Amino acid sequence: MNFIRLYTLIRRQMDSWLRSPINSIVSPWISAGLFIFIFGFVLGGRIDEIGGVSYLLFVFPGILAMNVLSGSFMQAANGLYFQRFMKTIEELLVSPLSYFELMLGFTVGGIIRALVIGSGILVIGLIFGAVTFANPLLFIYYTIVIAAIFSLVGIIIGLWANSFEQLGALNIFVITPLSFLGGMFNTLEMLPPLMQKIAVFNPFFYFIDGMRYAMTGFANSNLLIGNIVLLTLLFGLSGVVWYLFKIGWRIRE
Amino acid sequence: MNALTIKNFSKEYRGGTKAVDELNLEVKEGDFFGLLGPNGAGKSTTIHSITGIVNPTGGSIEVFGKNVVSEYREARALVGLSPQEFNADIFATPVQILDWMGGYYGMSKKDRKERIEVLLDQFNLRDHKKKMFRMLSGGLKRRVLLARAMMNSPKLLILDEPTAGVDVELRRELWQHLQDLNKEGVTIILTSHYLEEVEKLCKTIAIISDGKVAKQGDKHDFFKEPGGLESAYLEITKK
Repeated sequence: MNFIRLYTLIRRQMDSWLRSPINSIVSPWISAGLFIFIFGFVLGGRIDEIGGVSYLLFVFPGILAMNVLSGSFMQAANGLYFQRFMKTIEELLVSPLSYFELMLGFTVGGIIRALVIGSGILVIGLIFGAVTFANPLLFIYYTIVIAAIFSLVGIIIGLWANSFEQLGALNIFVITPLSFLGGMFNTLEMLPPLMQKIAVFNPFFYFIDGMRYAMTGFANSNLLIGNIVLLTLLFGLSGVVWYLFKIGWRIRE
Repeated sequence: MNALTIKNFSKEYRGGTKAVDELNLEVKEGDFFGLLGPNGAGKSTTIHSITGIVNPTGGSIEVFGKNVVSEYREARALVGLSPQEFNADIFATPVQILDWMGGYYGMSKKDRKERIEVLLDQFNLRDHKKKMFRMLSGGLKRRVLLARAMMNSPKLLILDEPTAGVDVELRRELWQHLQDLNKEGVTIILTSHYLEEVEKLCKTIAIISDGKVAKQGDKHDFFKEPGGLESAYLEITKK
């Protein structure tokens, strides 16, 4: 692996979102701030504690996780799609960047954007008193792994999409619904019995629950199962993305 | 040694369109090679397969003995491409475009900076180095792409219609520059619709038609025939 090549690719990814900071950074900060204020602060004051933590503290990790995963997803998917659309991806294709460097460059680009978004939301959360850290190292681990998984998903969508409609489809039909149904605002027990059984198959449930445990110490699921899901997705998707770059799926055809 | 060896190369796109069919081609090191053919003959597909933009579906391509598929990193490090289409980031400046390209080739910051300074002067881009690519004229955009192709000091330079949309003055400047590069030992492959350009610059010429090499030889061989290169070209492409 060549670090100059990798660093250049990461710089290139960052340059694209730094050109439109309102859209890529400020917008999720404002939307997360509103979620924290309305659901956590205003409504949360009228809801009992869950698992020994206030509703504001309970709901904050879910809001943070949703923004981290959607930020990394959007970065990788949009970044790759627009490079295909504008044909600037040919700069990468003619260069000696390896398939692994391509995979890592786009993934780290997504993680960095997610970390910038997440850091801003943490600051907003501090203002509302919504931030605690039961296990800071675990928090960093969950943040990076979740961002990496969704960067990898974003790469696949960025390669697959042939229109702006397709590019947004996964976000609309999968990411947003599964985040909301993955325990962002509620515990498993608050759901109807059938939904409780379905929820354990929703990987977002483990992302949010892991993040919540790292921040509040309250977990609604078996963390070992959650981590098996997370790491299986991380390594499985890494393998898929590496292979797609190797065969040049949708870019060298 | 051959700068480029293509054996039985084929490319079939999804949907079954066969762009190139069992093409064989050799380009000697130090040659200035003209690749001619009508639109859709397979020139760009061949160039894209040499440079890694497109995957070949059959045969083999080697650049200075390095296979472009199995030894892609080594092969690509030896090649520079100036494409037909403007494929640079429209919001980036020429300096950024060159800097990124140098980085993709693994050049250190110091080497990139020095090389960019040389290229800005060589291609008269110094006054435009901080302008966005989209703000540049067609000729200036072409210069940026040429400079980008030269960023890694390639041993094999591939120019796909490099003077399309370029004014006469720049065209002449570019011709001189390319001849100088060739004298320095850089192997150049040029595609162009301007036969005059190919006649002036190239030492060897191949005419591609229907995805195959229809005729290849020394430039002087084409001139010996009645009607010269133009006549040979028209005769082949008429079929």
